[in-house]
Amino acid sequence: MELLLQTLLNGLLMSGIYALVATGLALSLGVVGIVNFAHGEFLMMGAFLSYLLFAFRGVDPLLSLGLAFLAAFLVGGLAYQGLIRPVLKAPELNQMLLTFGLAILLQNLALLLFGADTRVVAPPYQATTLSLGPFFLGAVPLGAFLLSLAILLLLQVFLTRSRLGLAMRAVAQNRLAPGLLGIEAERVYLLAFGLAAALAGVAGVMLSVMLYASPTVGFTFTLKSFAIVALAGLGNLKGVVPASFVLALAEALVSTYLPGGGGLVEAVFFLVLFLALVGRAWREA
Amino acid sequence: MKGFGHPTLILLFLLFFALLPYLPLGIWRAFLLDVGFFVLLFTALALSWDLVARTGQLSLAHGAFFGLGAYGAGLLAPQVGTLPALCLGALAAGAGALVLGWVTLRLHGLYFAMASLAFSEVLRTLALKLPFTGGPIGLPVLPPFGGNWPLAAYYLGFSVLLLATALSLWAERSPFRLAQAATRQSEAVARVLGVQVVRVKLWSLFLGSVVAGLAGGVYGMKTLFLSPYDAFSLARAVEALVIPIFGGLYTTLGPLLGGVALVSLEQALRLWIQEGYLVVYGAILILVILFLPRGLVGVLGRHRG
Repeated sequence: MELLLQTLLNGLLMSGIYALVATGLALSLGVVGIVNFAHGEFLMMGAFLSYLLFAFRGVDPLLSLGLAFLAAFLVGGLAYQGLIRPVLKAPELNQMLLTFGLAILLQNLALLLFGADTRVVAPPYQATTLSLGPFFLGAVPLGAFLLSLAILLLLQVFLTRSRLGLAMRAVAQNRLAPGLLGIEAERVYLLAFGLAAALAGVAGVMLSVMLYASPTVGFTFTLKSFAIVALAGLGNLKGVVPASFVLALAEALVSTYLPGGGGLVEAVFFLVLFLALVGRAWREA
Repeated sequence: MKGFGHPTLILLFLLFFALLPYLPLGIWRAFLLDVGFFVLLFTALALSWDLVARTGQLSLAHGAFFGLGAYGAGLLAPQVGTLPALCLGALAAGAGALVLGWVTLRLHGLYFAMASLAFSEVLRTLALKLPFTGGPIGLPVLPPFGGNWPLAAYYLGFSVLLLATALSLWAERSPFRLAQAATRQSEAVARVLGVQVVRVKLWSLFLGSVVAGLAGGVYGMKTLFLSPYDAFSLARAVEALVIPIFGGLYTTLGPLLGGVALVSLEQALRLWIQEGYLVVYGAILILVILFLPRGLVGVLGRHRG
């Protein structure tokens, strides 16, 4: 029983980061309408930024969070202006190929620059654990979870209260009408894409402490985020949080209870994706 | 204008590769035959990808089909002989494609793209974990036909390319082309016009995956050794899609031209950089999509027109 509860707790703590990254993917998919295969690479860049700042300047990852947000927002905005905007009206196949190319480019650029090794950011508080009765909570996963929740709440406030946020939701609902009301769709796309990248960048900093930074870490997160988005339903931002919880929980259960589950954890997202798609195909057929 | 000259070029291309081993190549013979073999094989893989792309589907699972064929043929060859093993490996790839397609092809295209990518990542994980694949250590493979004929692998590769070219030409010239193009351009319209959209997509995927599986099987018999990182690698899927895009999508000539250019480039680049040579493919992919969406064939056509 205690093992089960501890497993559930681990899953819950991991779901925060998943929700953060997947919300970014859902934003670029829902608002801009782009299938962004390079989404996880923004996370990878955030993780390496955190690593570089820590290793060479001794910057605490907590400070890197803000820097990574700004840097990823900038990179995302540039990527939108230079690469995404020209293909907004192109066939979907071309759009997907473009972002896939960007993912391959960034991933292998990181491989050339940093090598395939995994790098961990280890601030003094990295190994701190809090005990809660019979259970143990890592301070870092707990902090990352709470921080993710806070960021998602801020995003929710932004989307429901501010004019820009409302414009974003309007553009997500209808491509034409917001333009007639004087909303500049292109600027909203730019903002949404930058914001999506920034969410992934922040998650990358958290990941560099919780797990590690490596050239391929982003790619796994692209896939997991898509499994989450498929489970939540396209364009359904609110469904992302529970869907992230389901995935994180399934992974935690597999790694605890399946013999030799350590390696198979990486296949759990596929099962979730597969089941979500089967369900969807049944409903639409 | 379109179509004129293309058959002649394709014929010349095939003739050149059929005769390559008998050309006076001097001391470069062994190296050039190796490069030629990989050109043949990856061009066939590229054609098989294009066959799927013609229905508007982005397959990122061609690495997985390649790997399924490679492992299937490699594991079965000692029991059943070279050719049956190749066919069974290809069927394994086809079976995987049918499962993947059955679930995803009636949904919006992006589901297929993402699921195909996830499919190939999971198959690599399984190949690393399953007891009979040799895991991360790898799987030794027997050379074709007991190794009695040194050119066997080369001509097997040539046969796969011949099959891929024939399939691609058939799909380009038969009414199937119209069904594919209609499906790609607008599924709703195609459905109204009486095209059985899901069936067209599923058939294209099945044929494409079988060719990819054959290519994988021959690859193993040439390299004599398979590892999950190699056979199921994402690099296979990247090669399979960059070649047709660079050469010209939805054509037969495009992948042939792109294959010669890119695979030769890759073999040369591999001598310089070991890891990370895919950077070049990523960059080519982005640049071609942005500035040259019709590929080399489009450039050629413009000059002639």
